[in-house]
Amino acid sequence: MDYFEPKTVDEALSLLDQHGEQAEVIAGGTDVMVDIKYSDEPGCLVNIKRIPDLNAIRESNGGVHIGPLATIHELEESELVRKRLPLLWSAAHQFASLQIRNTATIGGNICRASPSGETLAPLLVLEAEAEVTFSDGARTEPFSAFFKGPGETSLGSKGLLTGINVPYPADGSHAVYLKHAVRGPMDIAMVGVAVMATANADKSALDDVRIGLGAVAPTPVRAPKTEALVSGKALDAALVKEAGASAASESSPITDQRSSGEYRGWIVDALTRRGLEQCWQALTGKEVA
Amino acid sequence: MGLEIKLTVNGNTHTAELEPSTALVDFLRDTLGYKGVKLCCNTGECGACTIIMDGKPVNSCVVLGADAAGADLVTVEGIADGDELHPVQQAFIDTGAVQCGYCTPGFIVSLKALLDRTKSPTAEDVEEAISGNICRCTGYTKIFDAVELAAKRMA
Repeated sequence: MDYFEPKTVDEALSLLDQHGEQAEVIAGGTDVMVDIKYSDEPGCLVNIKRIPDLNAIRESNGGVHIGPLATIHELEESELVRKRLPLLWSAAHQFASLQIRNTATIGGNICRASPSGETLAPLLVLEAEAEVTFSDGARTEPFSAFFKGPGETSLGSKGLLTGINVPYPADGSHAVYLKHAVRGPMDIAMVGVAVMATANADKSALDDVRIGLGAVAPTPVRAPKTEALVSGKALDAALVKEAGASAASESSPITDQRSSGEYRGWIVDALTRRGLEQCWQALTGKEVA
Repeated sequence: MGLEIKLTVNGNTHTAELEPSTALVDFLRDTLGYKGVKLCCNTGECGACTIIMDGKPVNSCVVLGADAAGADLVTVEGIADGDELHPVQQAFIDTGAVQCGYCTPGFIVSLKALLDRTKSPTAEDVEEAISGNICRCTGYTKIFDAVELAAKRMA
C-alpha cells in the first residue's frame, strides 16, 4: 500500500487525480482504520491530517466556518458552536465516546455519508454549505445536494471537502437533536431527528419549521411536507399527531441489524412529535394543548 | 514500504519503522513492547486500548500509527511514579475494581485523563469519561467507587 501525507490541499488533490479510485482519504481514521483491518486495504492512503489550517472553527460571513479536520470534541469545546449552533453542539455531544470524539473529524463524518452520521441531519436543518474543492477549482453547494447515497457524495474520488459553512440560525429560533439508540451516545443512531423552528411575533404559531431525518433513507433527508404542514400554525395535539405520521411517511427506512424498518418508522413518528413539542414549549412557554 | 517515525511514550523517545497501514495499538504492543495497551474489539468500541495522545484519551486501535509521529503518548505503564502507583491504580486495588482485569488498563487511563482535566468530577463527568470503556464482567459500581476514592486522595 502506498502512503502519502500531503502538506497542502493542492498536493492532496493532485494525489487523488493521480490515484483515482485506488486512493482512500484518511483524517481521524475511526472508520477508515476499521475498513483497512476488515475490508480490502486501499491501493493508497492519502492522510490529510497534517494539512495545516483545515481544523479552524471561526466566525465568517454571518455564520461559522468549520474546517473539516476539526474533531467532534473540538466542536463540543468551541464556545462559538455551543452558543451559536446549539443544534450542532448537541449532535457532537451525543456522538460516540470521548475517545472517538477526540479522534473523529466532522469532515470524516460528512464524507463518510452514512445516513446515520450524527452531524448530518443537523447540517441539513441548519442549511449549511459544503466547500468542495477539485484540482480545477472550488465551489460551494448545499448539503442537500452533496449527499448522493450511502457512502456517495458529490466529491466522487477526486474532490476534497475543504470547509463547512453554517449560517447562524434566526434569532429566537429553537432546535433539538433527538437520537434513538440502545446504548446512548456509544451506539450508532437507529434514528436521529433534528427539529428547528421559530415562533411568530405574538408567539401563537410556529414559523420556518425545519425537520431533518437521519438513518431512515439512503441519505440524511429533510421532511418538506411535514415542515409545510406545521409551519405557520399553532401546535395542538392533533397537529402534532398528524406531523409525526407525516414525517414517518416521508422516511424510507431499511431493516438492518440495529432495527427493523417498521420500528424505525415508529421512532421517526415519536421523535418528530417530541421535537416539535419541545420547540413549541421553548418558543411559546406553553405546553401543547 | 517502511515508514520511520519518532515519538515519545511515557517520556521515552523512540524511533522505529512501521508499515503505513499499522494501527497505533499494534505498533505500541508489537514494535515498542507496551503490552499494557490491550487489544480487544479492534474497532474503537470497547476502550481496552485507550491511551493518552497529546493530552487526550483516544482508542489506539483506530488511530493510524503514522499519526503518532511527533506525538507525546502515555500508556498505563507510564502513570506510576516509580514504585508508587498512580492514585487511580491504587484505588482500583483498594476498592476491588478489578475482576478479570482485561479492561482495567483502558479504564485506568481514561480515569487518569479525567482527573487530569478536573480535580473533583461529578458522577456525570465519570460516566462520560468511561462511556467508551466496556467492562464485560460488569464491575462498574466498584470502578465508580475507585475514581471517587482516587479523587479524594488526590485532593
